[in-house]
Amino acid sequence: MVEDDLLMEVRALLEAPALRAPTADPDAALVAAARDEPQAFLALYDRYFDRVLGYVRLRIRDDFICEDVASTVFTTALAQLGRFRGDGTFAGWLFQIARNAVRDVQRRPAATHLPRDAASFEPDVEERFLAFERAAHLHTQIRLLTPRQQHLLGLRYGAGLAFDEIGAIVGTTPGTARVRVHRILEDLRRRYSDDD
Amino acid sequence: MTTEELERELMTLAGPRPDDERARLTIRATLVEHIGTRPQHRRRSRLALGAAAVAAAALAAAILGLVGSGGPSADAAILADVSRVLSPPPNLIVHVHETGQVDGAPVSAEWWQETNAPYAMRLIKSNGDYVGEGSADGTTTSRYDAATNTISQRSSSGSDTTLIDPIETVRAALQNGTAQVSGTVTIDGRSLYKIELPNGVVGYFDRTDYRPALLDNPQGDGSIVRTRVLTYEELPLTPQNEQLVSLTAQHPDARVETSPAPPDKRG
Repeated sequence: MVEDDLLMEVRALLEAPALRAPTADPDAALVAAARDEPQAFLALYDRYFDRVLGYVRLRIRDDFICEDVASTVFTTALAQLGRFRGDGTFAGWLFQIARNAVRDVQRRPAATHLPRDAASFEPDVEERFLAFERAAHLHTQIRLLTPRQQHLLGLRYGAGLAFDEIGAIVGTTPGTARVRVHRILEDLRRRYSDDD
Repeated sequence: MTTEELERELMTLAGPRPDDERARLTIRATLVEHIGTRPQHRRRSRLALGAAAVAAAALAAAILGLVGSGGPSADAAILADVSRVLSPPPNLIVHVHETGQVDGAPVSAEWWQETNAPYAMRLIKSNGDYVGEGSADGTTTSRYDAATNTISQRSSSGSDTTLIDPIETVRAALQNGTAQVSGTVTIDGRSLYKIELPNGVVGYFDRTDYRPALLDNPQGDGSIVRTRVLTYEELPLTPQNEQLVSLTAQHPDARVETSPAPPDKRG
């Protein structure tokens, strides 16, 4: 049966054996519910769709492929949820699936489409096209980073995660995650500015 | 270019697009389809809450005209009426009370939910001797411990507090689902429409006011758990009724313990 996020939260609240115990994984209750009732996975999907799509978009230029990858990420997560043991966070597991899906795409020969916005014939089409070119250039620079650097950048600026969340996902402290992302950003800024 | 400018460009690069809602719904539909082909592993001991959710499934199917029997207009009209009843306008509180039996033990769930964002709600659930009560209002999630007369609260911040309209969620979740009016039945002297939903759940809706009356939930072992909807009503969103969704208002003498809010998403 489908239940909404709010109901899930409250139900999880009611069913939690020890409310005062800190929750290591904020998604644990939803994951448990999804194991019990697959429809509940949709609440996890709602929670993570924007973040996963943002993560993929930061690393892949083509809008159509981004959607395909996002779809792959969630269908894979749904199919393999039983294998998720809860050793880490659900978010960490999900973004590892996203990372692998992006890697698979990046290994394939590039197929380029104009983004939907750029392809539309509207009065500001020239402006949109310039924005498209700029975005393409930035994507090119991102692709020159290592996959690990791209992953961190995607978690921060694509998925919009906080440094403590990123730290939990990549196995570092929040401070270390912040320093690493900052270094990557500086590296990217130099390349981007030099090449501009 | 400054670091801040680059950060903005990166966020724009990954940011939302006008077409995202279509993508979201398309992928959701794919997931719903996958879920529909998976075996169910529902635990027997759990009361399946959500007459509103199930009814909203019928609503979703009705909106999309997905009547399984081929779309006879009479069935479509029934589904449309169910949809109308289950699409409460803003400035109301929906009150639902369900009961049932699981493994011979009485179970029940009762909740009140505002129809305005962020859809604050309070829920009471009992399962045998266990009684639990919790609430969420978009900024705080709370639980009441009757044994210690304590309300434990967890505050949230940023996007963590963004609650969603459950009806909208169910609509989207089941956009590709099918609902079928399979006839009328009389149960306990009450005349009901029987509506079969894609996930094996069967809902029974009153023939006069289209409100949910019964819900049959198939279990993993082949048995059926029937939930009876004792109350499905809409209350005006008055200051007095607003207290129905507040744990602190319901338990004014309880001690309140508050946990710190998690950090903002952009940390």
